[in-house]
Amino acid sequence: MNIDYSLLTIEMLTAGLALGLLVLSLVVPGDQRKGFGYLTAAGLAIIFAISFAFNGVNKEIIGGMYLIDDFGNFFKQLALVAGVLVALASIPYVEKLESYRGEYYSLLVFATLGMVVMVGAGDLISLYLGLELMTITFFVLTAFKRGDSKSAEAGIKYVLLGAMSSAILLYGLSMLYGVAKTTVISELVSTIQAGQISPALILGLMFLVGGFGFKISAVPFHMWSPDVYEGAPTPVTSYLAVGSKAAAFAAFVRIFMGGMPQIQEIWIALFAGLSALSMIIGNLIAIPQTNIKRMLAFSGVAQAGYILTGMVAGTNAGIKGLAFYLMIYVFATIGAFTVAIGFSNATGSDEIKDMAGLSQRNPLMAAVMLVCLLSMAGIPPLAGFAGKLFLFSAIVAQGKLWLALVGLIMSMVSVYYYLSVAKSMYMGEAADPSPIEIPGSLKLVLIVSMVVTIFLGIYPAPLTGLAEAAASVFALK
Amino acid sequence: MIEFAMQKAWLIPFLPFLSFVLIGLITKRSEKLSAFISIACILTSFVLAILVAVGIFGAGEEFIEKSFEYSARWFSMPGLEISMGVKLDPVSSMMLFVVTLVASLVQIYSLGYMHGDPGFSRFFAYLSLFAASMLGLVIATNLLQMFVFWELVGLCSYLLIGYYYFKVSAREAAKKAFMTTRIGDFGMLLGILFLQIVFGTLNFTELAEIVPKYADYGITLGTLNLIAILLFIGPVGKSGQFPLHVWLPDAMEGPTPVSALIHAATMVVAGVYLVGRTLFLYKTATTAAEVVAYVGGFTAFFAATIALTQIEMKRILAYSTVSQLGYMIMALGVGSLTASMFQLFTHAFFKALMFLGAGSVLHAMHGKVNVWDFGGLRKKMPYTAWTFVIGGLAIAGIWPFAGFYSKDEILLEAFNTGHTGLFWLAVITAAMTAFYMWRMIFLTFFGEEKAENHPHESPFSMLLPLFVLAFLSVVGGWVALPEHGWGYYIRLGEHEAGHAPAWMIATATTAAVGGIALAAAMYWKKIISYEAVGKAAGPLYTLSFNKYFIDEFYLWINHTIVDGLGRLLYWVDIYVVDGIVNGLGFFTKEAGAVLRHTQTGRLQNYALILFAAVVVLVLYMYFKSPAAAMIVLGGGN
Amino acid sequence: MSDAVFTVAFYVFSAVTVLAALGVVLKKNLVHSALLLILAFVGVAGIYVLLQADFIAAVQILVYAGAVAILVAFGVMLTKRGDIRESNLANRQKWPALFVVAGVFAVIYALLGQTNWGPLAAAGPEDSVGILATLMLTDFVVPFETAAILLTVAMLGAIVIAKEVKNSK
Repeated sequence: MNIDYSLLTIEMLTAGLALGLLVLSLVVPGDQRKGFGYLTAAGLAIIFAISFAFNGVNKEIIGGMYLIDDFGNFFKQLALVAGVLVALASIPYVEKLESYRGEYYSLLVFATLGMVVMVGAGDLISLYLGLELMTITFFVLTAFKRGDSKSAEAGIKYVLLGAMSSAILLYGLSMLYGVAKTTVISELVSTIQAGQISPALILGLMFLVGGFGFKISAVPFHMWSPDVYEGAPTPVTSYLAVGSKAAAFAAFVRIFMGGMPQIQEIWIALFAGLSALSMIIGNLIAIPQTNIKRMLAFSGVAQAGYILTGMVAGTNAGIKGLAFYLMIYVFATIGAFTVAIGFSNATGSDEIKDMAGLSQRNPLMAAVMLVCLLSMAGIPPLAGFAGKLFLFSAIVAQGKLWLALVGLIMSMVSVYYYLSVAKSMYMGEAADPSPIEIPGSLKLVLIVSMVVTIFLGIYPAPLTGLAEAAASVFALK
Repeated sequence: MIEFAMQKAWLIPFLPFLSFVLIGLITKRSEKLSAFISIACILTSFVLAILVAVGIFGAGEEFIEKSFEYSARWFSMPGLEISMGVKLDPVSSMMLFVVTLVASLVQIYSLGYMHGDPGFSRFFAYLSLFAASMLGLVIATNLLQMFVFWELVGLCSYLLIGYYYFKVSAREAAKKAFMTTRIGDFGMLLGILFLQIVFGTLNFTELAEIVPKYADYGITLGTLNLIAILLFIGPVGKSGQFPLHVWLPDAMEGPTPVSALIHAATMVVAGVYLVGRTLFLYKTATTAAEVVAYVGGFTAFFAATIALTQIEMKRILAYSTVSQLGYMIMALGVGSLTASMFQLFTHAFFKALMFLGAGSVLHAMHGKVNVWDFGGLRKKMPYTAWTFVIGGLAIAGIWPFAGFYSKDEILLEAFNTGHTGLFWLAVITAAMTAFYMWRMIFLTFFGEEKAENHPHESPFSMLLPLFVLAFLSVVGGWVALPEHGWGYYIRLGEHEAGHAPAWMIATATTAAVGGIALAAAMYWKKIISYEAVGKAAGPLYTLSFNKYFIDEFYLWINHTIVDGLGRLLYWVDIYVVDGIVNGLGFFTKEAGAVLRHTQTGRLQNYALILFAAVVVLVLYMYFKSPAAAMIVLGGGN
Repeated sequence: MSDAVFTVAFYVFSAVTVLAALGVVLKKNLVHSALLLILAFVGVAGIYVLLQADFIAAVQILVYAGAVAILVAFGVMLTKRGDIRESNLANRQKWPALFVVAGVFAVIYALLGQTNWGPLAAAGPEDSVGILATLMLTDFVVPFETAAILLTVAMLGAIVIAKEVKNSK
């Protein structure tokens, strides 16, 4: 059998980078490992650049077992660009580690590889293995903070709950296989017929929803995320929040939109319910939070609700909105978390009240935080506004006005807690007014996040083109 | 030159924006350079705006029906094409002129007023952004573009009202302004969404053509009315109409030049402008138009009654703004674009004049705000005093000052369209306006000088804008006269203005003169004891003085409902969601113990909820999905 | 294999698996739990044999019963301090857990029972190992390689986390 291995360039390069870093960390003496972060970022950035060569390539390997298409490529690019930013944002954190610096970056790239495999997978087994590669890597990364009981606790919680959710997911996949007699997603379309929905299929689908719901932290599967987000090292949290969520969404879309659009009507109402629930619960519980990471975790739950609306629409426009929103969510979230990284690096605190007067202590950090949070709230002209516009107009076009209304109302509510952070930063009195210095790598991440968030808000056309191409992979309405 | 200005009209908002970027990124450290850049940019925009106005008004009737419009695609998706563009017609070019003029004067004034402030450069940057946002809103070709700038205007006002962030009251005021206007924006966004869904376009020109044919788009007149009312909620918030007016008086917490800018030319008139732009909608949706008219009329009257008893100079002016905006909204409600825009035009001048004048007084009084602490200031501050008096005459509507013409126009339109009730309400309001304005003028500038005050006249950079505005408050009415001035071109449909009958002019003038005379009798000559009047009014006085307790009411709602809901949900998550799981354990009489072991208990709780949720989902799908029916029917076909 | 023998064997293996698994959870001594885990794995392996999945059955016994469970037992003995007889106590959510688990079981049982699974596949291949080997390096090469990397990561993670515990003492 002939396989065109050049189609797997991205996967192979990422794996090579991860293994190379692992070997390098064994070869290079411990005290000379300063450049690993930059090396990782540069490596991922090069792979990111190469990935553009695959735009417009739509091919499948081994009868649909693995897909090289615009949808996969879009999310590979998302994982890679998020990886670059997180690698840069990790530098000050890793410098404080006593050992395993190289291993940290290696694991980071392995997590990226997991996402890349997951979004490219054309069959259920590859998809599951990619997902496990990503998840297991995150287990390790979450517990990476040595001697820190919170990090250890987060790690244990994530391992146990993650394993349970994987079990549920795997069980669901096995049901799906039992009903459809195939693991290739594109073959599901012909083997599952709209008129013949067996009870086992319902069971399998709901188990899949549970498993993916956990990964995207949608209500009621969200409960792990605040604890894990809070305890994990902040750079890991930021990657978990964007990368893991985006890849899980991509796989979710791949299975449901790519494999089973013919039975849309049985799961769309359910997704609408989960989406509304996530938006409502996530936003309301975010209000009383005092820790910035916990607040962002609950806000992430709400964001998952917004993004789910793209699947509720069940159209190409919905998938386009979903892809667009996830990409801009990367920048807004990493920007906000990077401010938290810089802040806790300098002061040791993650509390919102300690951020009072940040605008005087470090105007750049305060500005980036403001822009990122306002973008998440969907205030024009920031990117989040365009994203929500795409998503909500897609569901309105499908006659789901009520869901768009819930989204709008909850966006208004979210402004309340986002602005209370802004108020604290801009109008609060700093207990310690000394300026905060942050390393150059963080500055770079902050500026990139802010510029992209503003630019894509004002001129979203470049990204909408990519998102449109990604959505066109699916033959939907 | 005129051709160039019209082709490049996007420069008008772009230049102030450029100045914002330049100051923010480069020249922040140099105060002089920052102020220079800012003023140079806004003045250039002003010159361009004049050229545009000459081009539009000079072309006669050419642009009344068909505006000068061009745009670039911004982004698009199936069924939605959004562009950014420039729409020039008599209304927008008049607005460009007013906004750039007032913004220029306010910036020049700020040179003196903000002198020595540590955030001098930042202030100019914000002012520039504020002007840029407003100008962008004015030239918008479609509702979405307008909404974007509308939000930017809101953001700038938040930044500027909260400029003195170290003051608690300023922070609260900024928050209030932002929150209140957002409520309005929400309704407006719904309206925009509906328009897009129903008509498939948000472009003003296209909408104006197809809205009257609403029946072809499958909606009833009732739906159209609903859309129009939703859309109107935005202006209710932004233009401080009842019941969302509460933020506007608090907005004076910002520096005075900002208040002048907000009240005269930028933020608040955005709402009036939006209704003016979409007036074709209200021409069709007549029920909505009635709502608009009565909200406006009531706001005008209501705010005037509050202004009667306020004691802070800026607060009186703020309520007067609310009241005057009510006039403008009312004029739109009765269907007259001409009268409304005329009033907007003249009001911009005399309100900016009075706010800047008030700033000059406060500057001289070093932070005293109560009008009863002033007195006899005309001797030490003659320029401020006499320009202020001109403003007072203009707002009261005394011939030949600007307010006379515009107010008459509104009264005439209200009467001609058969809104007799609104007409008389407006006349009473006019009398009250004259009274409270002149109460303030007499208390501040006339009467005894107080020994403890050491006022001084303001520097020239602050006086110059006062002179210019005073001049415009006199002649502004003639420039825009509906008979042959700009007002002739600003209209929707047929030319509508006529001459007010003599009895109407007499009534209006009597009301104004009567108000002034009563104020003089009570507060200057002291013929009538104001204390006795206050006592006689009793509870009415208390209501007015406390602004009808509306703020307190909203605060209560906010505290009990909004905060409460958040806390309730958190409580639900902690106690009810976890509690459901724990409640099951209640049967083993060990539930309490579980709660105590939260650290170890939580993880298991999470896991239980995870599985329980999956079970619930499966059951839900099994019993609710169409598939379940098929299973019951024997496996479908 | 006749149907009767098959059925009897199936219920025996199932009973062994279920009872052993219950024992894993309910036994108070963690070492007993670990040993019962081996028994549960063996029971599952028996079911694999019945399904003609001989290779999977062998792997199940070698890897899970042989290696994983022994590893667990070692782990328990090396790390556990205090009385081993009281090392695996149920926490106070026994009853809610039972309730939810019963719900999960009921749902699965009810829905799977109602499903028409269609015709069964023909008898399994004679040489399943050879076919699996070929498939893993042809059709399933991507998941196979991913699994290899996954194992590397798991090993790396185990070292990083375990070593850290030693350091932080």
